Amino acid sequence: MEKRNRNATIAWLVVSFAVFVVMIGLGITMRLAQGLRIEIPPATFYALMTMHGLGMAGALFAGALSIIWYIVSRTCKVSLGVSWISWWLFLIGAVALLYATLVGGFGPGWYALYPLPFVNAAWPSWATGLAIISLLIMGVAWLLYQLDILRAMAAQYGAKRLLAWEYIAGRTPAEPLPAVILIASMCAIAGTLGTLSGAATLVLYFLKWISPATNLDALLLKNTMFMFGHVIVNVCIYCGLCAVYHLMPKYSKRPWGVNRVTAIAWNATLLFVLFAYFHHLYMDFAQNKTLHIIGQITSYGSAVPATAVSLFGIASQVYKSGIKWSFTPASFVLGGMGWAIGGVAAVVDSTIMVNSYFHNTLWVPAHFHTYFLVGYVFMFFGFLHDFFNSKAERFAVTSFVGMILGGYGFLSMFYLGGYFGVPRRYAAYTAIQAGDIANKGALFASLGALFATIFLISAIAFAISLFAGRTPADEKAVTAA
Amino acid sequence: MVKIAGLVTLILDIILVLTTVFLMLSARKAVEGGNKVIYKVRKPYATLLILALVAIFAYTITKMPYRAMALTTPAATVNVTGHMWYWQMEQEGAPALGALPKGEVIEFAVTAADVNHGFGVFDPDGKIVGQTQAMPGYTNHVRMVLEKPGLYHVLCMEYCGLVHQAMIGFLTVE
Repeated sequence: MEKRNRNATIAWLVVSFAVFVVMIGLGITMRLAQGLRIEIPPATFYALMTMHGLGMAGALFAGALSIIWYIVSRTCKVSLGVSWISWWLFLIGAVALLYATLVGGFGPGWYALYPLPFVNAAWPSWATGLAIISLLIMGVAWLLYQLDILRAMAAQYGAKRLLAWEYIAGRTPAEPLPAVILIASMCAIAGTLGTLSGAATLVLYFLKWISPATNLDALLLKNTMFMFGHVIVNVCIYCGLCAVYHLMPKYSKRPWGVNRVTAIAWNATLLFVLFAYFHHLYMDFAQNKTLHIIGQITSYGSAVPATAVSLFGIASQVYKSGIKWSFTPASFVLGGMGWAIGGVAAVVDSTIMVNSYFHNTLWVPAHFHTYFLVGYVFMFFGFLHDFFNSKAERFAVTSFVGMILGGYGFLSMFYLGGYFGVPRRYAAYTAIQAGDIANKGALFASLGALFATIFLISAIAFAISLFAGRTPADEKAVTAA
Repeated sequence: MVKIAGLVTLILDIILVLTTVFLMLSARKAVEGGNKVIYKVRKPYATLLILALVAIFAYTITKMPYRAMALTTPAATVNVTGHMWYWQMEQEGAPALGALPKGEVIEFAVTAADVNHGFGVFDPDGKIVGQTQAMPGYTNHVRMVLEKPGLYHVLCMEYCGLVHQAMIGFLTVE
């Protein structure tokens, strides 16, 4: 069973990593075009932008879920059948989405704000329909996968225990709840709710597509779409943290369990992650002001458990622990740092007053690329390195140096762009005559592409390092472990 | 505002990097129970963080753009409609959009005729003054004071399709 679970996990990890690499390629292409290094038509640019956003978030989310599925499978009976069905559905959805965007030209951005996909579109109607259907198929895949994780944990530990409420109530159970089960539960519950929000939106989009006379509310759909996007992106990071909680004690030789503080923190995180998405709608003045204020409170609130529990938890694993630094623990610690750095920029931008300036400038992609690229992805790679029991430690560490250099260089260009008010989602800055925004935007884009290329080469080198120098005996040892 | 936000981000990021380096270097020595100090620091840290966040929240919430300058009668009201891909701007009570008065409160009533747009006003130096979304079916009211005389640019701050990057309007301030 262990070997079959590993194989199912490998299938997800391979797809997630492959799509990640291809999506970086699309990202570099976009930055090169913005930097005037290459010329691509705006329609192509926006199709690439749409695919980049959906593909990157979708594939990393799928990879993140496979991490918690694998961790949960160590103690719970997860369903291999559901995993494979979800995998095939995800693959079919991803290929169809690639076709809709790269061939059909579907390009309303990842969030496809209503009614853009249906109005005066630069792409054919079939591309819109195919994109909606492919996203729905991917949504079903995520939903099945998450529900099975929840089912397996509930069967093993009892549904009432999954969020560790007994710890919050002050009762210490005879059988402790593993921290990874608490985190995986939080991830799967939030992820399921987020996925359902996206699915509901897409069902309405489907109705609109087959019945164009249907009228929907733009503000309501903006809420449901951002709830979906915000939640799944954040759940990715928490899945990465689940890997850190699972593996870090192996390197530090220190236990990392659930206590009352941890339980409160993860329950609070669940609440915050579901409601923080309101910060995406601050500039919708017509939305009820109370929701904006809830957005700021929950965004600020999420900083407390994230730092005081998770980051302090990592610190307590590391401080005077005698860890021998190798790729996995180093990438976990630096992933935690990247998550925090992205979090700082996110909290700053979640201040309504500040958002008046930073909303939809490059500050926004700056912060979420930070906690994705040098946060979650580092945790993901740390998990991969351990999962495959990589033998090429020096090779991996060298690639890591390249990823740090390329990653932070790339991100700095986004931050500078945001600081100087360069708008996001522009195929080119050449039409902007305000101040020096056009020149600055192009310069930062060119340098960003250069640094992203360094990251891409390093990430491919890291993938090679996973299998370099391995023997059949090593392969057997991994399976036996 | 942007300078403060940028500076705060930079300082906190530097602290995070230095703390991480310190922690990683500390791990060279193994000390049994050496991590107890981390838990001792946690409570004061969490208390300070919560206090800081509450204080920042209490201050910034009074500066929300939604009711900014609500008690002042605007010197001019401009009705703005975003179209794919141009801005239609009309001044209330005037035959056409003329020069707007410098240093006075201006109200923009912003909506969209087709899809979502973003109404972002940039001053003559290219610095953003303020913004709001332009959404079909809704009107967002935002008030701004345009301090510098000259040509202001209205950029679209919400992706709206093929010509989004060239959807630019102009305001003159005297």
